[in-house]
Amino acid sequence: MATAGAGPLIGPGARKERPFRWMAGERPSASCYLDERTFRLCCQLFLQHSVTIQDGWSWEEIKVADEGFMRKTVLIPVRSDTSHHQDVCSVHTGNTESLTEELQADVEDEAAGVQSVCESPVVLRYEYHVVYSSSYQIPVLYFRVSTLDGRSLSLEEVWSNVHPNYRQRLRQEPWDTLTQQEHPLLGQPFFMLHPCRTEEFMKPALDLAQTQHKRLNYIVTWLSVVGPVVGLDVPLSYITAVSAPD
Amino acid sequence: MAELKKEEGAADPKLQFAPFCSALEAGFWHQLTQKKLNDYRLDESPRNIKAYYCNGDPDGLPTRLTLEFSAFDADGPTPAHCCPASGTLYNTNTLEAFKSTDKKALLDKAANEIWDTIQSGAAVDDSSVLNRFILLTFADLKKYNFYYWFCFPALCFVEGVQLVQEPLSLEKRFTAKQISSLQMAYDNLCSLTGSTAVPHFLLKYTDESVHVAPLKDFNSFVKDLKKITVGVYDPCTLHQHPGWPLRNLLILLAKKWGSQIDVVEILCFRDRTLQGSRSIQHSIVFQVKLPDLSTCTVCPKSVGWEKNPKGAMGPRSVNLSECMDPKRLAESSVDLNLKLMRWRLVPSLDLDKVVSTRCLLLGAGTLGCNVARTLMGWGVRHITIVDNAKISYSNPVRQPLYEFEDCLNGGKFKALASVDRLKKIFPGVNAEGYNMSIPMPGHPVNFSETTMAQARQDVEQLEKLISEHDVVFLLMDTRESRWLPTVIAASKRKLIVNAALGFDTFVVMRHGLKKPRECRSEDSSPMSSSNSSSCSTPAVTTTTGASLFSNIPGHSLGCYFCNDVVAPGDSTRDRTLDQQCTVSRPGLAMIAGALAVELMVSILQHPEGGYAMASSSDDRMNEPPTSLGLVPHQIRGFLSRFDNVLPASLAFDKCTACSLIVLDHYEREGFQFLANVFNSSHSFLEDLTGLTLLHQETQAAEIVFVSFSSFCDAHDIL
Repeated sequence: MATAGAGPLIGPGARKERPFRWMAGERPSASCYLDERTFRLCCQLFLQHSVTIQDGWSWEEIKVADEGFMRKTVLIPVRSDTSHHQDVCSVHTGNTESLTEELQADVEDEAAGVQSVCESPVVLRYEYHVVYSSSYQIPVLYFRVSTLDGRSLSLEEVWSNVHPNYRQRLRQEPWDTLTQQEHPLLGQPFFMLHPCRTEEFMKPALDLAQTQHKRLNYIVTWLSVVGPVVGLDVPLSYITAVSAPD
Repeated sequence: MAELKKEEGAADPKLQFAPFCSALEAGFWHQLTQKKLNDYRLDESPRNIKAYYCNGDPDGLPTRLTLEFSAFDADGPTPAHCCPASGTLYNTNTLEAFKSTDKKALLDKAANEIWDTIQSGAAVDDSSVLNRFILLTFADLKKYNFYYWFCFPALCFVEGVQLVQEPLSLEKRFTAKQISSLQMAYDNLCSLTGSTAVPHFLLKYTDESVHVAPLKDFNSFVKDLKKITVGVYDPCTLHQHPGWPLRNLLILLAKKWGSQIDVVEILCFRDRTLQGSRSIQHSIVFQVKLPDLSTCTVCPKSVGWEKNPKGAMGPRSVNLSECMDPKRLAESSVDLNLKLMRWRLVPSLDLDKVVSTRCLLLGAGTLGCNVARTLMGWGVRHITIVDNAKISYSNPVRQPLYEFEDCLNGGKFKALASVDRLKKIFPGVNAEGYNMSIPMPGHPVNFSETTMAQARQDVEQLEKLISEHDVVFLLMDTRESRWLPTVIAASKRKLIVNAALGFDTFVVMRHGLKKPRECRSEDSSPMSSSNSSSCSTPAVTTTTGASLFSNIPGHSLGCYFCNDVVAPGDSTRDRTLDQQCTVSRPGLAMIAGALAVELMVSILQHPEGGYAMASSSDDRMNEPPTSLGLVPHQIRGFLSRFDNVLPASLAFDKCTACSLIVLDHYEREGFQFLANVFNSSHSFLEDLTGLTLLHQETQAAEIVFVSFSSFCDAHDIL
């Protein structure tokens, strides 16, 4: 269902001629929008299935604000033969060298009991957050990529880890809306797929569902379209197993 | 890939463990920063924090102990399918303290605490206390450098642990039936204990079924000490090695039951779900000979400090200025915003060309302020501002870089205050202010030695500044103050963008950019067959027609003074006060200032830059010459009609500023020539350029040349 609506939008064939028409105070059709309650209900159903298939999604509650978001972390080892590996590696060794020499004598090393093959591969942590935007009244996908020491990658570094085929796609509409913004609930810098083009791919899917009298879980449909663009895999079982809230 | 290192001479191989590798989320550092600033401050006392590890990784990922922003909530929940580890944070105030902290003592302390829980039996009741860690940090919040060193304390057997049976995967050891029985039994144990992960457990099995029990049920559950199997929730993915958490468990077993048990079977329980399908088949099973520590009363030797990425025993560090330093964040956000313009709308936009352009702003009034702000919007980093005035009470409402406070006590110097404000708005800007006057024709400088010396110094400074920049913006409040920079920039072949205001009219224009010097002789040769495109071609003024005003190349375009038949002089002398106090509609400077910058950006996007042919109003329907559109010579705006036109005009060979003869004199005689201009009346320049002669020739005859600029010159405004 979701892919039927989304498929043609990904290719270069489905671009342009759909300028975003949303002026202040005016809204084209209610179908693309989601109120916060429905957002939460959709997320609940989504999370239930995530627990069943152990997909790793969790709900993070911001207590003081009575707000929350859906979160998933994925670790991906970077092959050490890529040149990028060095970039990522070189950063965190820089200024500790002298420190290490000063301190080395202080601490005992143990060779016997330690498995020696521990020059661990460089691992990138992809953190995905699904946050509700009350100004756009739709979900927004935030993400950041960091090394295991917590350093976030720049957009260029993230880019260089995107497969060339996808890189091409990211520069096409509506995927070219990648931008950097402060996480609305955490106040930390994240990348986000700007919500301004969500309508372009949600409307066909929602319209199709309407004509077929099917009810879609907004989050499932939406995430299965936007997720893969930034490396987030949404297993197919969500589409069959997760229903729309009543 | 994991090659088991055999100890030389030993009969049986020794068991080796994959150490934890620390994994910190950016949120952890953000939270530590907050805690340090608001909560800990200078208090160095140890803090309880928590971490977790999971056992569901796909192959190839390192064994990790993860700390996220929730780490400071020591009693908070642990993520599903993860085991908690409690730790102690030692955050030092100085790098010196970080270095001099006695690491061995910290490790010994933690090891002793673990040993105590083993001796007291507390670890049997709740085996998660065996998983501890130490984190030593120093946060340099000025540079956003974080130094840290993890320790995962593990108690050691002096002789190591002998492997009796090499590790095998569970599917080779158990039948499918046993495996599913184990999975079910483990899940039951989880729900019994009310958690989603159990760090250590006991199991016994027959061909038919598998039973599991918590560690504390040892005595009731284990009937046969000859055949004892212990499960450990294992975060490692290596096929031949267990992860770190097994170490302290073995010590516990050896201390509690070492006298009764000889060989123990270990199940490294690994439980992962990929694409919705769960598997524990890849868990590993092996047997070790359990040393006997039952009579041991002192804490065994311990290890655990983490190696750094180079494999040496040493701390790690991470610099997070990119995501924490507000200045860096502002810079990357500004740049990204501009890049988005390229990615989304104008793929061929050359941003580097814009961002790296060095801009000199002459004048820091309404125009100067608005130009500076628009330049910042384009990410221009190098902005120099020249002005000689102080901020007065009427300024802040129209001049967006100033505030009321800036007017007090006589007012701050505009050149300096504007630059300070630019840096406040965007710390990444490289802005400099020069409080200086620009000598003007008809404004004598020869009152004294001092005034002459000052004028000479001002000229030299201006020459230097113009040389050091790529684009010069003329944003002053008088016509004649534009003369000197026009001459210098024309001589130095620097692009000038000029903006001037009337009451409800404005002109924004680029000055023609003379050809590079070596080409100039060529220019006046018969080689240039195109009608009147050379600035040295005479008689431009006598012929006119639409064709003349289209397709003018950049080097033939006029300057601000080209359309005039009088030389600049003291324009304020003969005016009444209301004329001197120039007035324009308040929105005008914003419009003109913005257009001046946008014109510059469009020029920079043209492959020929300042030499680009002038676009005119007629070109509005044609294919634009740059990705951003037209590159006009002039934009003349009429606010009363809300209308702009794009005229273009040729350089005038008798121009009092950019004509060959003026530039020649300037280049040959330098300051002496300029001083003559400053100190003389109109007629000096008019005589020099031949305007006097022209006047005589035309006499009272109508001057055909339409002077667009004269209409607003009377009202040149700030």
